[in-house]
Amino acid sequence: MHARPPQIVALGGGGFSMEREGSLLDDFVLSLTGCARPRVCFLPTASGDADHYVVRFYRRFSPGCDASHVSLFRRDQGVGGVEEDVAAHLLGQDLIYVGGGNVVSMLGAWQAHGLDEVLRKAWRKGVVLCGPSAGSLCWFEEALSAFHGAPRGVRGLGLLPYSNCVHYDAEPGRRAEYARFVGDGMVGGFAAEDGVALHFTRRRLVGIVSSRRGARAYHVRATADGVAETPLPARYLGEEDGSVDAREDAAPARASTPRRRRRRAAALPLAV
Amino acid sequence: MSERRAVPLDERVILAMGGGGFTMEPSNPLLDDFVLGLSDADAPRILFLPTASGDQTAQITAFQARFGDRLCQPEYLSLFRLRDLRRPLAELVLEQDIVYVGGGSMRNLLAIWRAHELDEALVRAWERGVVLVGLSAGAMCWFAAGVTRSSGPPEPIEGLALLPGSLTVHADGEPERLPVWLTGVRAGELPGGWALDDGVGLLFRGRALERAVSSRPGAGAQRVDAIAGELVRKRIEPELLGDRPAAALGAIDDSIAELRRVRRIQRGIGGRESGIGRP
Repeated sequence: MHARPPQIVALGGGGFSMEREGSLLDDFVLSLTGCARPRVCFLPTASGDADHYVVRFYRRFSPGCDASHVSLFRRDQGVGGVEEDVAAHLLGQDLIYVGGGNVVSMLGAWQAHGLDEVLRKAWRKGVVLCGPSAGSLCWFEEALSAFHGAPRGVRGLGLLPYSNCVHYDAEPGRRAEYARFVGDGMVGGFAAEDGVALHFTRRRLVGIVSSRRGARAYHVRATADGVAETPLPARYLGEEDGSVDAREDAAPARASTPRRRRRRAAALPLAV
Repeated sequence: MSERRAVPLDERVILAMGGGGFTMEPSNPLLDDFVLGLSDADAPRILFLPTASGDQTAQITAFQARFGDRLCQPEYLSLFRLRDLRRPLAELVLEQDIVYVGGGSMRNLLAIWRAHELDEALVRAWERGVVLVGLSAGAMCWFAAGVTRSSGPPEPIEGLALLPGSLTVHADGEPERLPVWLTGVRAGELPGGWALDDGVGLLFRGRALERAVSSRPGAGAQRVDAIAGELVRKRIEPELLGDRPAAALGAIDDSIAELRRVRRIQRGIGGRESGIGRP
């Protein structure tokens, strides 16, 4: 195990589950592990452990990683992925990748299985935590969930003392809702568009990267005159920026063309 | 739907199945027809909750296959795919005639219901006469306690306690569960209760057991209590559904079913607007 500080990469949307060429963000996250062959565990809880999601995870991560997954729904049938001590398994990872879906259902199931505590420990121990959508919201003190009907505030695990809003550009009204919640007392925080990742070391935002040119994140906070939204530019991870060397075998994915950039697979229920 | 009022205790109905119904008996509709007969409605609104399985597509498909062409108004509610539902969950639950809960992880089922405050909505629905039905985890959840394999090996778990006592399921199909339950009951860690084979359903009115029914010959149930540290076991012989006039069992007689089918076609029963999954 490498000595790493606590790190979280919160994706506004993107990665293998949403982008056909989702390698850029995933490669960035993998690079943070500092391992040639990282141990990566997938938690698909927010999707109800959807089989097709698990399959896509393995398709993406098996080639370069020691990939595994933990299912909280199929453990009685012996097809829950990891069968031994789940806590020990998670604490031994380099990266824990949390899938999208419904953040309220996910947090409920985690708590019932004690995974909230395990993930807190893993974070402190230097296991990199990441995920899109629900897999982003869950790390924050508060989050705006709009998975079902009217948007609502949700308490996350609180590892990051901010609020979070994802798919900031993808859903009409999301921006106004977030401003309203922050204006009404939700702790200030960060919004991310699809394809944008917020990188936190300990509790500090240390970088913003993107798989889409021009995509941004925003800092949203209450001020004396209302709510202020500050755009935060993201560093594009694609070919024109040579400074990010994700991993050696990422080269083909980085040769992305404009034609490919915005193509997405729409098969998954990944809203939050 | 107008506001439902609370009904007297003896009009509150729960059917707890040890296993069976559309997810486990795709070619045997006896229990599911019995379920539809538990509602007075001509075409009962029946809502399937596949939460315990993580809203597995296979369960939803099986529900559609079973109820899609029966005289009822089937819908399902996925707590992992709520995107299109624009109404409060409690409202949706309260307008049903029957709520049918599938099997899977009881620990996850209760935790996710709680996270969405659906547990309270279901209690209110029961108090207002909505028939509650379920198998396996979806049966044990109504009792004070059950035995779950949510984390692998079987272990006791608390339920919503609408019904007194404990329940264990798949007594014949999953033999490793029963000894854990018996040990718990003997030690006083679990209240006395019932063990059900696959295919057996216990019908409760209020908090009292009214009938035991079965979809399979040979399937049975037992009542077990600990008295002075000793287990007292009493065999319950369920009525086998389908081997005598179905009407007497509360299920639908063939000719009535045919009549209803025709009426259903005439009335074109189908899409109500609720924005959730529908067969």
